[in-house]
Amino acid sequence: MNPAALIPAPDAISVPWGWFYVLLMLTFLLHILVMNAMLGGGIIALISSLRGGEQNTLLSKELSYKWPYTIAFAVNMGVAPLLFVQVLYGQFIYTSSVLMAVWWFSIFGLLILAYYGAYIYDFKFESLGSSRIFMLGFSIIILLYIGFLFTNNMTLMVQPEKWQAYFNNQDGTLLNLSDPSLFPRYLHFVVGSVAVAGLFFALVGHFRFTKSSVDPEALIAKGMTYFTYATAIQILIGFWFLLALPKKIMMVFMGGSSYGTILLLLGLVLGFVALYTGYKKQVIMASIITLVTIIAMIFMRDLVRIAYLEPYFQLSDLVVEPEYSPLIFFLVTFAIGLALIGYMIKLAFGCRKEVSK
Amino acid sequence: MNYPVWDLTTYGGGFLIALVAVVHVLVSHFAVGGGLFLITLEKKAYKEDDAGLLDYVKKHSKFFLLVTMVFSGMTGVGIWWTIALLNPAATSSLIHTFVFGWAAEWVFFVAEIVSLFIYFYTFGKMDRKNHIFIGWIYFISAWMSLFLINGIIGYMLTPGAWIENHSFWSGFFNPTFWPSLIFRTGISLTLCGVFGFVTAAFLKNEDLRLKIMRTCAAWVAVPFTLMVGGGWWYFKAIPEPAITIILEKSPQIADYLVLLTWIMPILFIASMLMAIRLPNSFQKVFCFVIVGIALVYFGAFEFIRESGRHPFIIYDHMYANQVYAKDVPEVQKAGFLATAKWTEHNEITDKNLLKAGRDLFKFQCSACHSVDGYLNDIKPLVKKYDNAFGMDAKLNGLGKLNQYMPHFMGTRTERWALANYIVSDLNKINDLNMGNPIVEAKELPITIPPFDKEKDEYVLLAWNNLGMHCISDSDPFWILLPPANDIYAQLVKRGDSPEIITEGVEISYQVQEGFEYPEKQVRFWEFADKLLGADLTPGVGIGGLKVSGVMKLEEDHRAFTAPLVPVVPYPADGSFNPFPIFTITATDKATGKVLMTTKTVVPTSSEMGCKNCHGGGWRVAGVAGFTDETSLDVLAAHDKNSGTNLVEKAQNGEPMLCQSCHADPVLGTKGDPALLNFPAAIHGWHANFMTDLDGMQACVACHPSRPDGPTQCFRSHHSEFMDCTNCHGTMEDHSLSLLKKELEAGKKGAARLMENLQARAVDSVADINPRTPWINEPDCLNCHEEFEMGSTTDAFNTWTEGAEGLYRNRHDQMEAMMCEACHGSTHAVYPATLNKFGANRDSIQPLQYQGNDRPIGNDCTVCHTVQPEFEGHHPNSLRL
Repeated sequence: MNPAALIPAPDAISVPWGWFYVLLMLTFLLHILVMNAMLGGGIIALISSLRGGEQNTLLSKELSYKWPYTIAFAVNMGVAPLLFVQVLYGQFIYTSSVLMAVWWFSIFGLLILAYYGAYIYDFKFESLGSSRIFMLGFSIIILLYIGFLFTNNMTLMVQPEKWQAYFNNQDGTLLNLSDPSLFPRYLHFVVGSVAVAGLFFALVGHFRFTKSSVDPEALIAKGMTYFTYATAIQILIGFWFLLALPKKIMMVFMGGSSYGTILLLLGLVLGFVALYTGYKKQVIMASIITLVTIIAMIFMRDLVRIAYLEPYFQLSDLVVEPEYSPLIFFLVTFAIGLALIGYMIKLAFGCRKEVSK
Repeated sequence: MNYPVWDLTTYGGGFLIALVAVVHVLVSHFAVGGGLFLITLEKKAYKEDDAGLLDYVKKHSKFFLLVTMVFSGMTGVGIWWTIALLNPAATSSLIHTFVFGWAAEWVFFVAEIVSLFIYFYTFGKMDRKNHIFIGWIYFISAWMSLFLINGIIGYMLTPGAWIENHSFWSGFFNPTFWPSLIFRTGISLTLCGVFGFVTAAFLKNEDLRLKIMRTCAAWVAVPFTLMVGGGWWYFKAIPEPAITIILEKSPQIADYLVLLTWIMPILFIASMLMAIRLPNSFQKVFCFVIVGIALVYFGAFEFIRESGRHPFIIYDHMYANQVYAKDVPEVQKAGFLATAKWTEHNEITDKNLLKAGRDLFKFQCSACHSVDGYLNDIKPLVKKYDNAFGMDAKLNGLGKLNQYMPHFMGTRTERWALANYIVSDLNKINDLNMGNPIVEAKELPITIPPFDKEKDEYVLLAWNNLGMHCISDSDPFWILLPPANDIYAQLVKRGDSPEIITEGVEISYQVQEGFEYPEKQVRFWEFADKLLGADLTPGVGIGGLKVSGVMKLEEDHRAFTAPLVPVVPYPADGSFNPFPIFTITATDKATGKVLMTTKTVVPTSSEMGCKNCHGGGWRVAGVAGFTDETSLDVLAAHDKNSGTNLVEKAQNGEPMLCQSCHADPVLGTKGDPALLNFPAAIHGWHANFMTDLDGMQACVACHPSRPDGPTQCFRSHHSEFMDCTNCHGTMEDHSLSLLKKELEAGKKGAARLMENLQARAVDSVADINPRTPWINEPDCLNCHEEFEMGSTTDAFNTWTEGAEGLYRNRHDQMEAMMCEACHGSTHAVYPATLNKFGANRDSIQPLQYQGNDRPIGNDCTVCHTVQPEFEGHHPNSLRL
């Protein structure tokens, strides 16, 4: 059977695809930052708890205050890119989701458990005592599991040639385990999250956003150490990931496309610069470099998707039935929302200072 | 058909979405109103300087944070998650149509989370005015989420002008937008009170607890009016046909409507109870009971709203099974599987029939029906179908007379595949004969009475006038035909000029041995008073005759008749024999001398195939008769479709004659003048389930004429080259001829039954000639012009003008012999050798009088002692 024959017909879009593309990239960046802080933060807190010691315990406690926020915003910031990816690639992602429906369906129920786990970890940090490590571990295992499913779905959606497995298994229990790029891709996200979360802790220390009695300097030191080690490992995994890609797609970044090649080189160079800044404990510099690196990586990730789908689909294939007024309505809402959020945060920080006085 | 389907079986039929959605809507509406509840109470605490109250608000806000942000937020995403798995096509459609509505909703979701975090974590730390301001932002953001989602959910039920113009705003501000918004706002505020009881019940300070309980009770009571008013307006705003489906047609909704009307006041009363000073232990339990009541209440409402969309998921745009309404004509033509992407069975063969059927079930049925599951389980619904024909008919009729379900989408072959899958794989029935065994022909012994051409002076001709009389022995429940067969006889005195004898003789009839006691075989006499309003002695028919007796002279016909003889097709040995033989004897009244004796078959059959679709199987000998199960299911279907209470009546010992409501010329009932006459109703209804069938497939599904069946009503030589449809038309044509007459008579029900029927023998419905049943029937002369050999086999659509023109009532051109006297009964005209109970059974008299099975007069000397020269009976009678 020709895999292309399985691809559902896409629905029309109301404004040219570029709008959705920009929104997808922008909101995915927001999501990935918060998600990294959530997942990597949990992992660092778990490692710290296992290692023990006062500052390590205080780091875990510091996370307990921040963790519910990060989960809330990771989900919240995930909604928008999932919306826009469904607009642009709905025919692919709905299909792959159905193929792995049982796993996919389990996500939000388990996420609720992980979320409540995080709240218990926060509200009962002291009273749980040493058993809090299990609460932390429980939520982290769920989050790692969810991440693994996302990697499965994101790789399955771009490979219609693998969809025929459905005809032998319609129970929704398929995964994309046979894909050589699955594990390096997954690890690339997990290890990356540890690096970014290391920075997150360092930034919390740097801007004195601590709520526990953790020593901010110790927090910065620990955060930057995690950042540096994770970044080093990340570079190696990045190569593994690159080599695990089908040759045709790998070549996009190795001369096949000048845009792709430049992105890879940029990412690589920035990665090494980040390593250096990490080693030097330059929190702000490392943060800026990392942000730029992540943006480059997001565009590379998108190039991988485009390359996978190249035989089947291009965004310009989508039919446009133009209606701009809803877009304007959204943009106005977005602007008002941002202003309101900005104002509320200002009020919140204002009162924080008040209290600290 | 565009997307793969997650094969859920047990958890199918929408179970997962129901599970996620019901809990989500309850908590999410609470989240919407909760913001206002918090700030109102917070302000009140400041105003009254009530530290206890303020502390309560803070604790409640923590409860609120954990319940709404975690549970409501996550299950909200969960709904999206779930619908994308269960109905990706509809999800894609909603996402693409309303992408910026969703995106705006996301902005409010962010604002909601930010504001709620700040509200909770800065409680008591922030300037009061600012804190309340944050609360307001929370409330407005949450309400705006409701505002946006309300538009999209409303669109699914009432897309309004969007269907035409595809404008975002038309779909969003759809006909139920505002009433639904008011209703949902009302319920959101009410739920604040409901959830407030939970947190208040655990307060230790009794005065404070009572104060807050009363506040919460007021929060239930005041918005309750908004909820009830908005709800009423909402129902009023739902257009046809959705509202009819909700209020009348849906088999599922009725229970939920009843539940809704009960649970609403219960919720109110239970909430008001909390305003009373009650023991705290009671309050601690009862507050959860109230949450439970609210859950049931809201669940019932959402269920009704969802069901109201049937058979669509987006009204008039996409069916529940993910097929776009606009694609249906193409699917019907080209085939569902042929145009589906996710099947390996694009073409159906004998080999993949069941697999293709399974795919069709998955694609077309599984969205709403589970298999062995909790929601809308398919198995009990199809349990009665023990054969693919009946199941196929049911599928054929879907969406035609009741729009609750969609039409079957696909070709006839695909429908057949689905029917076979359901019967074979779900019902586990693998009977190739579909419960209708092949009956081999046999020769029951008969003795041809003697006739001596040289000595005998009389010729006695006897016949049954219809060729087959059906009886429905479903007596304890209903009947449409009582045991009542008409026997006719004419006595001819032979001679140069033969003479019809009508005086001075007695003609008697006597049923064959074994058939003497019909009252022992059927329960008709137990219920005759209810069925017909006649108190009959067992064994006596509605014409006052028994199965043996004396015939009366009917002067108009110059014939003797025994009307309504209550013969049944069950001999005493428990077998089935639809062709009992009657002995007819003519005696000279004066001398007592027997003038002539003959025999005739008096056909009567209970091989009526209601069970093919209504289940229950055959009652007698595996080939005929009504079981209680069949009879009850017929009534249950009538009750469901026409809002009657026939099952209840039957169970109370009051079975009915169908024709007591539906007039019928053959029984002479007037019925209810507003209703369709019986033949029009029964054929018109069932025709919707049996369209496009070949030959007499549809006819024999109900009438006793299947070629391999026991009765084979149509058994004359005509049946060798014709079938029922040559004279009566196909199921559609036949029904349309009857319905058109009723339509012209202004009967309300006719148009509905005609809507989905297409003429087949002629170009259009306009070309079909309307007719009154039993009066306007096909005429032999339609084909046998001038009594010559037929030049065509198409007798449909030209009807006898009145009852006197019917073959069974007509005479020769001398008004002497009746047509049937010489040619035999309708459907069994001589030669009629195709009788399964004996090749000669229908031809006793030709064999007796002329030694062959041709029409009487084949040899004129049967009656005429001198060969006549003129064609006195009819042209071509001498074959000159």
